[in-house]
Amino acid sequence: MTEILILFLAGLFLPLFPLSMGFNWLLGRMQSPVLRALALLLWPQAGLLLISQLEFAVPDWFLLLALASSGFYAFRALALRDVGEWSGFLATSSWAFLWIPIHAGTAIMNVQLYALGFSVPLVLLAFLGAGLERRFGAACTGLYGGLAESIPRFSTILVLVVLAIIATPLFPAFFIMLVTITQAMSVMPAIAAGIAVVWLLWSWAGALLLQGLVTGTPDDSRPADLHTGAILGYALILVLLLVAGIAGMGVLS
Amino acid sequence: MTMALGKKLGIRSMVYVSGEPIPFFWPMRSFIHHNPLHGLEDLPFAEAVAIGTRLFHGRGFLPRRDYKRYLAENRVATGELEAGIEEFVAKQASVPGIDLERWLMILLTSLDHTVALKGKFADAIDIHAALTDTKPDTGRPVDESALADTLRAELLGDRPVYEAVDILFGTEIQTDLDELVIKTCLDFFDEGQSVWHMPGREQGLFNAWSDLAAHHDRLLLDGLPVGRVLADRTEPEEVIAAVMDSLGIPRSEWVACFTREIAQLHGWAGFIRWRGNAKRYHWTRRFPADLVDFLAIRLTLAQALLNTRRHRKLPVTRMALEDAISTHTRETWLRYELHSGSILPAWLRPVEEALLRGREPLVDKVFEDYSLALRKQEADTQAERLRELAAACGDEDVLDRLPPDQLDDLLRILQQFEREEGMIWLQAMEKHAMGHLLENVNLTLPEERDKRPFAQALFCIDTRSERIRRHLESAGDYETFGIAGFFGVPISFMELGKGSEMHLCPVLLKPKNLVLEIATAPAGDVAALSVLEKLLHELKESVLTPYVTVEAIGMLFGFDMIGKTIMPQGYARWRQRLYREKPGTHLLLDKLDREQANSIVRAVQRAVVGKAVELEIGLKPEVITDDMVRELREAALGNTTSAPTLLEACSLTDEEERDFIQRLRNVYRIDAAFARLQMEQVGRIGFSLEEQTNFVAQALSSIGLKSGMSRFVLLVGHGSTSENNPYESALDCGACGGNHGLTNAKALAHMANRPQVRNRLRYHGIIIPEDTWFIPAMHDTVSDRLRLYELERIPSSHVIYLDRLRSGLVAASRLCAQERLPELQLKPAPVDPGSANRDAHRNAVDWSQVRPEWGLSGNAYFIIGRRNLTRDFPLKGRAFLHSYDYRADARRRLLESILTGPLVVGQWINMEHYFSTVDNERFGSGSKVYHNVAGRFGVMTGNLSDLRTGLPSQTVLKQGQPWHQPIRLVTVIEAPFEHAWRSIEEVATIKHLVRNGWIRLMIIDPEKKVAKIYADDDWISLPLPLDATTPQSESIAS
Repeated sequence: MTEILILFLAGLFLPLFPLSMGFNWLLGRMQSPVLRALALLLWPQAGLLLISQLEFAVPDWFLLLALASSGFYAFRALALRDVGEWSGFLATSSWAFLWIPIHAGTAIMNVQLYALGFSVPLVLLAFLGAGLERRFGAACTGLYGGLAESIPRFSTILVLVVLAIIATPLFPAFFIMLVTITQAMSVMPAIAAGIAVVWLLWSWAGALLLQGLVTGTPDDSRPADLHTGAILGYALILVLLLVAGIAGMGVLS
Repeated sequence: MTMALGKKLGIRSMVYVSGEPIPFFWPMRSFIHHNPLHGLEDLPFAEAVAIGTRLFHGRGFLPRRDYKRYLAENRVATGELEAGIEEFVAKQASVPGIDLERWLMILLTSLDHTVALKGKFADAIDIHAALTDTKPDTGRPVDESALADTLRAELLGDRPVYEAVDILFGTEIQTDLDELVIKTCLDFFDEGQSVWHMPGREQGLFNAWSDLAAHHDRLLLDGLPVGRVLADRTEPEEVIAAVMDSLGIPRSEWVACFTREIAQLHGWAGFIRWRGNAKRYHWTRRFPADLVDFLAIRLTLAQALLNTRRHRKLPVTRMALEDAISTHTRETWLRYELHSGSILPAWLRPVEEALLRGREPLVDKVFEDYSLALRKQEADTQAERLRELAAACGDEDVLDRLPPDQLDDLLRILQQFEREEGMIWLQAMEKHAMGHLLENVNLTLPEERDKRPFAQALFCIDTRSERIRRHLESAGDYETFGIAGFFGVPISFMELGKGSEMHLCPVLLKPKNLVLEIATAPAGDVAALSVLEKLLHELKESVLTPYVTVEAIGMLFGFDMIGKTIMPQGYARWRQRLYREKPGTHLLLDKLDREQANSIVRAVQRAVVGKAVELEIGLKPEVITDDMVRELREAALGNTTSAPTLLEACSLTDEEERDFIQRLRNVYRIDAAFARLQMEQVGRIGFSLEEQTNFVAQALSSIGLKSGMSRFVLLVGHGSTSENNPYESALDCGACGGNHGLTNAKALAHMANRPQVRNRLRYHGIIIPEDTWFIPAMHDTVSDRLRLYELERIPSSHVIYLDRLRSGLVAASRLCAQERLPELQLKPAPVDPGSANRDAHRNAVDWSQVRPEWGLSGNAYFIIGRRNLTRDFPLKGRAFLHSYDYRADARRRLLESILTGPLVVGQWINMEHYFSTVDNERFGSGSKVYHNVAGRFGVMTGNLSDLRTGLPSQTVLKQGQPWHQPIRLVTVIEAPFEHAWRSIEEVATIKHLVRNGWIRLMIIDPEKKVAKIYADDDWISLPLPLDATTPQSESIAS
């Protein structure tokens, strides 16, 4: 019974539909970027801690549920305009994939690093979203385009962060996705194909997000761009992510 | 159900009228520069820009920051700027405590952004409260009837219903509709790009489409209920009327609605308009289409999209929209705010949620809260902008002292000023350009020469000729002239190996004479490379073969790509060697007499009859005798009844013989009527002696070259060579209908070299010395190479001078490239002539070069006068130069013909550049990088878009900033005032263009030494030369 409860709670923290709604509801209520960042960092880690207590293997059908949850949130993210919601959905979609290495018996420590690889860019996006709210009143696509022209430094960081989230090569998420697909192949090749499709949906969602913010003609408002300190901070974390990604290539070999 | 003819004609005429503001779009194979607002040229410039910008959703003037940059570069007459402000202020009431002239000048020159915002809720009382930091009065309710009126103005009127639905409900009907219409157009208008063609195109656009749509809607149109909209209507006019009636739009508003509808895809609409008008265009004759078809398809699809299941709960008629506005004003307003993108970002989610829940009390509550927030935000922003202006003026305290009513006056004035400031900037830039020219013109007559120049050269009036002329003049004893690049000879040209005619003259003219290019050498085999290229093209364009092609021979394309990219010049030279050279050709320029024409028609008929006997009767060629052919031909023409020689040669019965003769008539067109038609066609070939004499006389007289001709007179046509450039034709000669000018140069040279023509020219007062020889030449404007043609024809006595002539031309080319190349670099730096020449040649063959040359970008002046006027003043390729000597044109005929043709073309070119610069996305064609060729006649952005009209950003912008300075064409006529003005008055087109301000007119009277500038129905006189100690701009403005 305790095992089932643990599994249930793990399904809440490594979000599987419909338990995933809890995380997104909670994230939607958090106004402070620090709180959001903490939630994005710690939520899956809590799930992994619970999993480490499990004494039996995760059933196969969990993988199907994980894929379905991930696909559902990735698909829904295509229609979202709010940056906060978008990051919550992408978090849900990516964390759900952690069930695959867990099922494949990957050491929990490694899976914790995978979770971190997914979470860190989302944390950066949470802070960038807060920056947009400060400047424009809301972090939404389609309301004020042309950030590339009006706040070019902010836009550069935003683009890199979104690329990191959607698992572009050299960022950790890219290698994590490769590992995940490889592991899924050994269980059910169809799931691997499904993961690839979800990955494509992420790219699409990312492109739409950037299209609604970065491109276009800026309006008449004159927001302040990122100051040097903030740029250095973001750049440092992105470089660390890249280094981590490249170092993580060893995982594949 | 058939509509009455009268009603159909009524709808046709409405569509015709509604299409008038849409400019023609010519196929890009022969790019024609045009004014995007050509249809509004009967209105004053400012008014037309206001209408045009609304219709095409574009911008008519540059943003202020660009004008400020020009100001910083000293390219704006500040005096004129002040005068413009003064004139504006004179019409306004004063605002106590504010020096309006000073404020407006500072507004123009110090601030980048708009100061007076168009608030929806905030009024002067709110702004006053924000300025004085007092508590705003939040108790005043929103005037809902005013709100409803605003919504009606925004959503109803001529706005299509689906667009209003999109704005209120965030649907994307317009996007879907545009996509479907574009796909239809691509299918129907394809000119050979696709391998699979739309069936039934011969029936016309609407019929072909409706046949397909009614039967294949699931497959082609995503299950749209098109069949239900079409019902049993077969005529496009019926469909248009039915849809408009079902949308509930009153007939009085149809024309405005049609215009708005057609303008949604104005590129396609402009192409269809042009095509419908070009009755002799090959594709028009094969697959007819017009705007009525286009509109019927668009309205059908729009109606089908509105009627889909997912839109069934939405208001999809005019009445339903009106009802929503009247009865649910608040909700409609919130919807408008949400989906039009103007909502305050922080309110996005609350408004979205309230509308989603749809409970009226909640909507009311959100409306009230939102309207308060919007009012406050508007008031705060407006107050901040005003404070910024006041601070820039050093009058920080003034605003606090203004009561709301005066604040309201100030805001109204600022709003109006910011609406009109574009014209003030424009006029100030134009005045600067005029002053710059007037400072440098030379009114003194050139010294009498004791001997004639070594050579004279007639160049096109094109702005690019200005540079090369200047350098040629500096390279030796050369005299140059400017004349429209078709040299006054309108030609319909049929090139060797081409089956269609090409008009080599301005599009305003319809050439009567046909010129054929015929080979002087026997036709050889087709080069192996050409066959291979054709094969590759077909493999690439087919449906399945590309997959195999890539696997099998993809590597070949890789080699090609590497060669073109790494060493474009060497690779292009190597490839050139693989092609067979074009055989020597000759132009049929002399008119055939009746006997010759008859002989040609007879020869063609004989050849056809011979072939028919061979194919139908099966006789061998050696058995087919001349007598047999003659008898059959006579019989087919009805002159005799039988052909005995044929009967002797084979065993035909009388009936078979009659049948064969009948087939000759019906199938092979050997009959009297067709022979007459052939005679007419043959009669178009060439020019009669009289025509030739007149063309030469007209060309030489128009530039004042009636005597003193040199040994060599070069007729220099121009064209442009570039790779991978759909806009190549835009860089060719506009006066030759977007083609190279060499054929016209050859034609005029041939005429002027004929002794019979020269004899006749004496009666026109034109004496061409015996040793004068006209040589056709070509100026390649990308490489600046000047190449002479038909040298094999020049008299042997002249050969000895050719080296000197070539040296001069080479020097001019290199110097011209040296002047021009730095402008093409990202960071201009001086280059030596050798490397400039090399780089310029590379540009012509480099497939990755998006800007092989600047083309006509930078054009600003059209100067009609003697060369001496600007000979010593480098105009840097900014002027069209038309040679003209008023002393040789007492009856003003020559001037009128210059105004009628070349100036109109110049104005189109100028306006195309103007609008492509001020709004490259809407009036231009955006970046070339994303362009794809559509149907072989246009380009689209990406794989599906409106046809991109106008010029690409690479032609008018440099690193995102305007490179072309957008001003209206400053037209200068050097002639006595009366002489020039009366000519203008005689030419109605130009008179309207001048009076409506589409061109800026300046008359330089060399006799009275005065310049007169036309402005606002008045003349400003300036004595010449301008006082060099006074800044030119100030002297003009004063």
